[in-house]
Amino acid sequence: MKRKKLLKKLLFFCAFLLPLSIMAQTITGKVTDTNGEAISFATIVEEGTSNGTTSDMDGNFSLTVNQLPVNIDVSSLGFITKKEVITSEAPVTIVLIEDTVGLDEIVISGLASTIKRSNLANSVAVVSADDLAGRTPPQTLDGALAGKFTGALVTSNSGSPGGGLSVKLRGVTSINGNSQPLYVIDGVYIDNSSVFSAGLNDVSNAAGGGASASSNQDNASNRIADINPDDIESIEILKGASASAIYGSRGAAGVIIITTKKGKAGKTKINFSQSNGWNEAINLQGQRDWSSALAESEFGEGALYSAAEAAGTLRDYEKELFGEKGFISNTNVSMSGGSENTTFFAGLTRNQEDGIVKGTGYDKSSVRLNIDHKFTDNIKFSLTSNYINSSADRGFFNNDNAGTTLGVALTATRPWDFLLPDENGNYPDHPNNSSNPLQTRDLMTNNERVSRFITGGSLDVNLFRTDNQSLKFVARAGVDHYTLTAKVIFPKELQFQRPDQGGVNGLSAISTTTNTNANYSAFLVHNFSTDNDLKFTTQAGVTNQQFSQNIVRVTATDLIASETNVDQAANVNTDQVRLEQEDFGFFAQEEFNFQDKIIATVGITGDKSTNNGDINEFFYYPKGSLAVNFHNFDFWGANEVLNRFKIRGAYGEAGTFAAFGSLFTILNNTLIDNNVGIIVPITRGNPNISPERQKEFEIGFDAGLLNNRITLEFSYYKKTVEDLLLRADIPTSTGFSSEWKNAGELENKGFEIGVNLKVFDADDFTWNSGISWYTNESEMTRLDVPTFNLGGFGNSLGQFQIEEGASVTQIVGTTGPGTPVSVLGDAEPDFQMSFINDLRYKDFTLSFLWHWKKGGDNINLTKLLSDFGGTSADFDDFDVDPAGQIRNGDYRISNGLFAGNARPFVEDASYLRLREVGLYYTVPSETLTNWFNDIVSNVKLGFSGHNLINIFDYNSYDPEVSNFGGNGLSTGVEVTPFPSSKRFMFHLSAQF
Amino acid sequence: MKIIRKFNIIILTIGFLAFASCDLEGGESLNGASTSSISDDLSRGELPQAISGILSDMRDRLNTQVDVQSILGREYYYFTSSDPRFEGDVVTGNLDNQTFYTTNVWATRYAAVKEANLALAGLANTTSDFSPQEVAAIRGVLNTLKAHELLMVSNNQYTNGIRIDVSDPDNLGPIVSYGDALTAIFNLLTDAAIDLDAGGSSLPFNLTSGYDGFDTPEGFLQFNKALSARVEAYRGNYSNVLSLLDDSFMDMSGDLKTGVYHTFSLTGADLSNPLFIAQNQEANVRLPHSSFLTDAEAGDSRINKVTLRDTPREASGLVGTHDVWIYQSLLDNVPIIRNEELILLYAEANIATNPGEAVNAINVIRNAAGLSDYSGAQTASALEDEVLKQKRYSLFGEGHRWVDMRRFDKISELPNDRTGDMVPSAIPIPFDDDF
Repeated sequence: MKRKKLLKKLLFFCAFLLPLSIMAQTITGKVTDTNGEAISFATIVEEGTSNGTTSDMDGNFSLTVNQLPVNIDVSSLGFITKKEVITSEAPVTIVLIEDTVGLDEIVISGLASTIKRSNLANSVAVVSADDLAGRTPPQTLDGALAGKFTGALVTSNSGSPGGGLSVKLRGVTSINGNSQPLYVIDGVYIDNSSVFSAGLNDVSNAAGGGASASSNQDNASNRIADINPDDIESIEILKGASASAIYGSRGAAGVIIITTKKGKAGKTKINFSQSNGWNEAINLQGQRDWSSALAESEFGEGALYSAAEAAGTLRDYEKELFGEKGFISNTNVSMSGGSENTTFFAGLTRNQEDGIVKGTGYDKSSVRLNIDHKFTDNIKFSLTSNYINSSADRGFFNNDNAGTTLGVALTATRPWDFLLPDENGNYPDHPNNSSNPLQTRDLMTNNERVSRFITGGSLDVNLFRTDNQSLKFVARAGVDHYTLTAKVIFPKELQFQRPDQGGVNGLSAISTTTNTNANYSAFLVHNFSTDNDLKFTTQAGVTNQQFSQNIVRVTATDLIASETNVDQAANVNTDQVRLEQEDFGFFAQEEFNFQDKIIATVGITGDKSTNNGDINEFFYYPKGSLAVNFHNFDFWGANEVLNRFKIRGAYGEAGTFAAFGSLFTILNNTLIDNNVGIIVPITRGNPNISPERQKEFEIGFDAGLLNNRITLEFSYYKKTVEDLLLRADIPTSTGFSSEWKNAGELENKGFEIGVNLKVFDADDFTWNSGISWYTNESEMTRLDVPTFNLGGFGNSLGQFQIEEGASVTQIVGTTGPGTPVSVLGDAEPDFQMSFINDLRYKDFTLSFLWHWKKGGDNINLTKLLSDFGGTSADFDDFDVDPAGQIRNGDYRISNGLFAGNARPFVEDASYLRLREVGLYYTVPSETLTNWFNDIVSNVKLGFSGHNLINIFDYNSYDPEVSNFGGNGLSTGVEVTPFPSSKRFMFHLSAQF
Repeated sequence: MKIIRKFNIIILTIGFLAFASCDLEGGESLNGASTSSISDDLSRGELPQAISGILSDMRDRLNTQVDVQSILGREYYYFTSSDPRFEGDVVTGNLDNQTFYTTNVWATRYAAVKEANLALAGLANTTSDFSPQEVAAIRGVLNTLKAHELLMVSNNQYTNGIRIDVSDPDNLGPIVSYGDALTAIFNLLTDAAIDLDAGGSSLPFNLTSGYDGFDTPEGFLQFNKALSARVEAYRGNYSNVLSLLDDSFMDMSGDLKTGVYHTFSLTGADLSNPLFIAQNQEANVRLPHSSFLTDAEAGDSRINKVTLRDTPREASGLVGTHDVWIYQSLLDNVPIIRNEELILLYAEANIATNPGEAVNAINVIRNAAGLSDYSGAQTASALEDEVLKQKRYSLFGEGHRWVDMRRFDKISELPNDRTGDMVPSAIPIPFDDDF
């Protein structure tokens, strides 16, 4: 009996096992790319389930499935996902094709989740590492974004080394509030302040005198310049509230999400690249056609001219000042490697660049270490850390009321003036101006030194996974800490510092800014999929950000001998500004995906901040979006012509905080006769101030034609900003000049069109081309305070005016004596276009980016100042006077400024630029193997340039300019800036 | 299912805790005291700082104020390579109501008025232990300084009118006419005088060294009377002028420089004299109008307020051969009101009723300048001309010429060097205040 039972059991067991063994199939195979190279850590998933595995270092995989045949999805970053049907257990080779169109690109959609680009309902721009820094090494990160994606107006404030740019996404977001996007690197919210250095305004008097001038005319840089473009893997740009709503009160001006390079498991790869080159001024203005007769008629100095001519000391001082060729050197070494559990990426970059003005330059060192570690299959940890040390010498330019900045001094300098030092290093006084620009250039110091540490970590824990559900917990923390030390020194030898010239006998100023930002967040992400491929992704989380900044400025005048310590002086003036802010927020988002055919998202963010009137009041920002991938539907069939068509729509709201301190009316301090006094500030605070709210609605479509040979992207957006934060002018008889108010509404509408073409795709020759066209129009739809002006110098010179019903960026001025103020121009471009081409012929690649900005006006006051100095290059021409009778210089002075006519100063700032061009030769791998065995691989040599060709009619150095810095409305006003430059570089890179 | 439920509960609990526990703290003002700390309750400790703030702010933009008035009075031209509007708009008389020469001076004078109003409000609400005499003294000083600042604005905007009641920024008083403005200013000064009279023997705060000799309630009262005399002269109430001058510090045999001054220094946040420019500069210059030299009587020592330049300076058709050399260092004081002006006011007030006394006063001034006694006619118009002439040289570059020529209807006598140049009689009201 027992034996029978055992046999039965055995039979039963076998009977059971056999089908099981038949049922549990194992498929094996290898994943390679089109060159036969193995793709390690590719994902192989049984379709419709969460049963999957990854390929090992050699690309081999094996997966146990229930039955055959089985459908599997094979994917890897940068390759198009392949669906295969496996019918037997025999090993298969699966070839993945590179994804040049980026359809399967993963894009960050929530704060903790990603989505495939093809399912994305927003127009999110992505700039890859190649696009960012692959053509030519950029000087700063934000400068590298110009022309690379639609919807942005990137303007460099000046050519000063070390940065200073403004990035405006989809028009003007705020008038007095912040209009620069939020930058997030690997989940760390980083600081992008622009802090002016003490001492510069004391000398130039640009912002007038009086107690504690707060200056935006000192050509300060902004802190994004510290980030190293070589470390970046990709950048995603969320251009408006419809995409950035999850960032709540920080997201209105857009969010730029930066992901740095991560290690790849496998053999450690070392990448080395060296670039050397030089920069030179783009567009020097030149000189008048001087002669003895002209010198006599203009200055009564014909004799001096003749004497200088005879002695051979006539000099083009513009060339003397701006004619240097600055040497550039960039070195980058990076390492990437790791095992299955731990991967790392380490990078070291050294940038050195001299400016086109002697004594200016930028020097930066950056060290990065990124580590990804898998504790178990379910717990992943990643750490990014970056240390940057930089030093920028920025020169002394822009607006001035004392004749001391280099630009203004140049406007009063004639070729026969003798300004060079003697053999003992003594400089002569300028015969026609309060400062000698060569002396100022050589003796002064304006240096910004940054020591910055950015670090972040994130922890991903898979709490729970079944066949059709998974729950993940994500925690992130990040810290951004920097110390910015600015040193400004004007020694007493300078002509304008001497007491007999009314100077203060030497000035030394130090500004120390310590800034610490910290952010913490925790999320839960739940994925749920049903049988008919309906996927739900729910995420919810909380975030907390803390900001702390302390700026201490010390200005010392009447220095002892040649000492520069701030205590070695007779008079010391101090100033301190602190900022402390804490924000707390939560968000929740639900994403619904029906077979990749219909993807809908809905979400809400709420946040509160100590910056608001009621610090514990929550402000809520909803979002919703819908994308329909028509090509995935059955009725679409397999259409060869229009193989991909997606319609998308999105709506979202985001906010912008009031500036720190706008709640309070804070008394300033002053000193008279050794008595300290308190005086009213310029701006009256508002204890009821609340954030601005932006509402954006965006619709568009993406299409792929001829099997994705042509891809087309089209978007239309409408952005409304309500409760605009305005530092509104109030009647000054109140004792204040302005007051913070939520008092207006503005609107931006625009189109963005992008076309990508694979023009040629042969073995030997490929040509990819990308064309984009975008435009924006703004309107001040409601203004609750009277019309007011900002950002210029008065109606007779042209200024910006905020007026209900008019464009936000309109430029107004008077056109004659007693005439009313009228619109003379608009700073918004008519449209912008960029044209990117990547060509490859055998081992050569040529890639270039043209950028065309049509329209958009500047207020050019540089020419007027040089007219007053009698030194404008076009003084004697006749093209400004409509009647062609009066010389340019005379016209701008007498029929322009003195006649209250601002028309000659508002100029069209269109340009067509060859922003980047790169020509590279990749040494063939056979040659390398012959020379170096297998040690060296991927050797590239090349030549590249930045801004090599610049075509514009603008009557000054460069239409891309801003005297008033990057934040705010009034970019495009120029007053003798640091001229911009073009760069020529040679490259060598190799991989070991 | 149980597991899922468990997780759900855990999630909800965590979420709730996170939510509820995060009450933010902070949001205070970090970078200075706020205005309400003064106006809600002025303490004995805050009082000296409030007063020093007013005295300091009275100097703010003094250069723009005096330069514009001096250019309009054709006393001197100011050229700067950084701003051509001083030789443009201001000389051609095309004054824009949104440009700095109109807006900056108005704004800074009213800032000082605001500071006085904040202190007055704080004084009315004070819980500190001020004695009634101290309160009177403080109020007297504040109102005198406030009246002075309003007078400075009124001198500029003239018949365009100014605002008097500005204590509530949300409810500004109306723009009043020139006559009403002067009446209001005079009433402020009179009330202040009554307060100073009852102010005891010392002030509960320090004034600057510019008020040496006037830093007690009694001394400050003399300053108050002097200002009132000037205002009454503007209003044409000459008998009042005489009695006010009697109570002021006017002294026919005293130092012409006795008076009340703005002080400057180079220490820390202090201001330096903004009206000082070294001689023989090129970029920024103050050049006296040529008529200052040509119209002077031979031997007038007041000519030394200008010095010959090494090379003339020309700008846009206007030429200057001399430098203005009133202030000779960054530390020199700038007068607010002084004895020399009081003597000339005395002369002016006596023209109609006592010409002989007027001539006596004129002679004090002439003799001090190295000139012989006045020998011209003693008719009203001749004496007016003589007083105006003496004021022109005695108070050169102190902001009086334009005001005086205007109130005697003699703007047309001021010289215009280029066609298209014009002297306006008033500066427009700034755009933002024009309602």
